[in-house]
Amino acid sequence: MRLQRALGLLPLALLLLAWHLAVQAKVYPPVLLPPIAKVLAVFVDDLPTVVDHALSSIGRVIAGISCSFAVAVPLGLMIGRYRWLDLLTDWSIQIFRSVPPISLIPLAILFLGIGDKPAISLIFLSGLWPLLINTIFGVRGIERTLIKVARAARAAEFLVMKDIILPAALPAIFTGLRLAVGAGWLTVVTAEMIAVKSGLGYMILNAQLTFRSDLIIAGIIVIGAIGLLADQLVRLARSYVCRWQEGLTASPE
Amino acid sequence: MNRFIECAGVGKIYPVKTESVEALRGIDFTCDSGDFVCLLGRSGCGKSTLLQLVAGLEEPTAGNIAVAGKTLDGPSPAAAIVFQDHGLFPWMTVRKNVEFNMKARGVAAGERTATAAQFIEMTGLTGFGDRYPHELSGGMRQRVGIARALTTGPRALLMDEPFGALDAQTRGKLQDELLSIWEKQRTTVLFVTHSIDEALLLADRILVFTPRPGRIAADIKVDLPRPRAPQSEAFSALARELRGLIGADRDFD
Repeated sequence: MRLQRALGLLPLALLLLAWHLAVQAKVYPPVLLPPIAKVLAVFVDDLPTVVDHALSSIGRVIAGISCSFAVAVPLGLMIGRYRWLDLLTDWSIQIFRSVPPISLIPLAILFLGIGDKPAISLIFLSGLWPLLINTIFGVRGIERTLIKVARAARAAEFLVMKDIILPAALPAIFTGLRLAVGAGWLTVVTAEMIAVKSGLGYMILNAQLTFRSDLIIAGIIVIGAIGLLADQLVRLARSYVCRWQEGLTASPE
Repeated sequence: MNRFIECAGVGKIYPVKTESVEALRGIDFTCDSGDFVCLLGRSGCGKSTLLQLVAGLEEPTAGNIAVAGKTLDGPSPAAAIVFQDHGLFPWMTVRKNVEFNMKARGVAAGERTATAAQFIEMTGLTGFGDRYPHELSGGMRQRVGIARALTTGPRALLMDEPFGALDAQTRGKLQDELLSIWEKQRTTVLFVTHSIDEALLLADRILVFTPRPGRIAADIKVDLPRPRAPQSEAFSALARELRGLIGADRDFD
């Protein structure tokens, strides 16, 4: 099993090999395509810079996605439960979720200026839709008998929400959270290239201006690694919170 | 004996796209407190619909239903329901499932735990309190459903083909146990089934339904001594009579 997991490293190893061969063959001058060792050196020499920027990016995503979660989950639970709210919001959700958050950067800067505010707002938006839509979807998928059980027991609406609708929707909410974190991470890097003066996005854009392609590549590696780590964390949280699902679904995904 | 469940002129029409389907017409019956009454008929004859109506989960389009002397305007606090697909919450342990009806009524946590333990024992679930429903067999799940229904001390148990999905052996065992619970608690039981043998084993009285629209074709009193023996002459004679009433040929059950 462990050996099978290692299979996932093969494409990455091949990529490294191709990179190494390209450097050896001098396909591009070293200023553009630095050797692997030089990029690794960034993690030693420029470690504080990289960590600082990474932390500001992570902080923004946590702030933005927390806001998405706080808004989307309660709202989604209610839209999924109440037909009239669904009718009221359905079209708006379908329209606004089709707008890429990146395309709102110019507006965000006009209204919110330069800094954390526009960046976090855009992350909030990019996480909002996947969370909202998956939460609604989760509520819809609830077994009808379970709602009948609650009604027959004359359970109060709040108890129904807390003990039945929310847990029933949790697996879908976590699917939404995975997508939201992914979308938020994509958005933060882009937003940082335009709207703020810190973060990994800013770091790699700035590195381009100073011809530090080693720093650019190091930044990209960090972005990818954090993206992978964040996804794994959400999956871990999901399998803990939804452990009642073990053996209930076809695959342990 | 007082009249515990009263139906007067009950009808139910479902709108289905452009037409409407008449599920029940002119249902009149009363059920005395402590009686074990089976609603017997083929699938689609409206017997389950009538149970949903008596449970207060749906409203009749004609007529009146009263439970415990009160005209229904929603689920009656005097009744509890057991569903065919058991209706257990997959994210709650057996104990939490059994406690749910009490929680819905605002019973304090300590009392809930004590009462749940009592009914877990009564239904033969001792040692399974911390399991999740998917870890149990079909028969066990239905025991949990019955335990949950009993916790609030209902004066009527409404059972919608509770043993329909079980194998013959498990079914027989649960029938016996249900009878012994009924003899102890003397709750009124309204029990939906499509099995003639099951109805004859359990009921004091059998209401035979015919379909399109669902109507009560006969009201049969079962005077056989308990415990009942399916091999006996009287049992077979009644079974033959019922088979004729339902209009069932050999293809039925």
